[in-house]
Amino acid sequence: MTGPGRFRLVDADATLGRQPRVDVGDGSAAALLERMDRVGIAAALVSHSWSRLHDPAIGNALVSELVAGERRLAACWTVLPHGTGETGTPAAFVRSAREHGVRAVRAYPADHGYELAGPDAAPVFAALADAGLPLLVDAGQTSWAEVEALARRHPSLPVVVGRAGYRVLRRIAGVLDRTSNVHVGTADLSSNGGLEWLVARFGSARLVFGTGMPERDPGESVTRLLWSELPDDAVAAVGAGTLAGLTDLGGLA
Amino acid sequence: MSAGTLAGAVLDRRTPPPTVVDAHAHLGPYSLFFIPEQDAAGLVRVMDRCGVARTLLSSHLAIQCDAAAGNDATAAAVAAYPDRLAGYLVVNPWQDPVAELARWAGDPRFVGIKLHPSLHEYRLTGPRYRPVWEYAAATRCPVLTHTTTGLPYDDPAMVGEIAERYPDVTILAGHSGLFRAGFDDAIEVARRHPHVLLELCGSFMHGDEISRMVGEVGAGQVVFGSDAPFIDLRMSLGRVVFARLDEADRDAVLGGTMRRVLAAAGH
Repeated sequence: MTGPGRFRLVDADATLGRQPRVDVGDGSAAALLERMDRVGIAAALVSHSWSRLHDPAIGNALVSELVAGERRLAACWTVLPHGTGETGTPAAFVRSAREHGVRAVRAYPADHGYELAGPDAAPVFAALADAGLPLLVDAGQTSWAEVEALARRHPSLPVVVGRAGYRVLRRIAGVLDRTSNVHVGTADLSSNGGLEWLVARFGSARLVFGTGMPERDPGESVTRLLWSELPDDAVAAVGAGTLAGLTDLGGLA
Repeated sequence: MSAGTLAGAVLDRRTPPPTVVDAHAHLGPYSLFFIPEQDAAGLVRVMDRCGVARTLLSSHLAIQCDAAAGNDATAAAVAAYPDRLAGYLVVNPWQDPVAELARWAGDPRFVGIKLHPSLHEYRLTGPRYRPVWEYAAATRCPVLTHTTTGLPYDDPAMVGEIAERYPDVTILAGHSGLFRAGFDDAIEVARRHPHVLLELCGSFMHGDEISRMVGEVGAGQVVFGSDAPFIDLRMSLGRVVFARLDEADRDAVLGGTMRRVLAAAGH
């Protein structure tokens, strides 16, 4: 165990459960906590691989069960368009999420077969905005044009786009310029000097710490942030402060 | 340097002593995407921040478009920071390899050769690369080749084929096959050929895989590379800093192994 460092890090991009195309071990909460200890992460919002790769409703129930009573983990549910009723009506989904202590919601539009900014998911995204629940989405699940359209359609919905890679700053810069509710997650935000460039241009309040673990190595994002050339206050903001401004982190370690 | 020291230095934002050798880096702009920091000064500044003593690099211009002009750029960067940077000479099989090797033969700014078969769309085992292998065998300089599992240009199996042909050449398998499904193949090639080293940069690398590689072939055949400024140095370095490795192995991966290779070549 490495133990905590000077900065509180809250990971907005972690997953429980097995993965079908990479060996991440048993995907248990205990294994995730061990990884967090190794790299000094205090707390994490966690989704479950079953929510993405099996059934969102079953995966959501499972992740809530797995993090129950664990002060360092909070559930992140996955939502679907309400038309098929799989994750309930928008109101019922949001009410249940709140009852289960969910702090953020994920969408996988590419995997789950709908458009992020289309009309099918618009009602549930509006309900998330009203409830103060941010939406997390991986860059590979949509396009930056869809992200921008979604953000314009729901200007009070915080949207965090993670796992951007190293080839996308030309697209990100425009979207961040033209919106105020799009944020960038730091998992696989790999452009050389990109973190400092984004903070200098758009402010630390547009960056949300995430690791993408266990598929991605959490040592990447931790080292990238803490050995950045950002001042300590910006590191603290990216590490936890921005997320705390987007959702309620109360009760989390 | 101990892992505890390094990991602790990260968590406390401290700058560690400069001991790391980065065996795979680049320099300059790349047309496909925007890189906020891509010059030598910026690279050395981040090296200073992260305890990287020396970086071996080739310019993006050399690998992407024009080997001769790009090797000039590499040489200029090394001349500007002779104690911190060292060059890989890029040989493009379509741009007169013999002439380019002859132009820089014996120049101390270049300590190895860099090949990018998939970018140049020419197989690693092809005859246009023969002058490279002969040059490397004669000078003992290491050859860093990009590898991509499944591509017809630089699959790890091709590294094995070259290793059979040239047992005196140290070959760095850049990215170790690149994809996680290909790491097994790269490990197997390294296991059969002690002069093949697994180099660690790439978007799909993970500390768990680094630990496995070291366990399979030993830290003497595993070397850290960042791919900066393609990829931020800190993303790549963090995987090794926090990997489950004993301290002697981590030290070897982060510099000891590559120092041994360079010393054998007289650098």
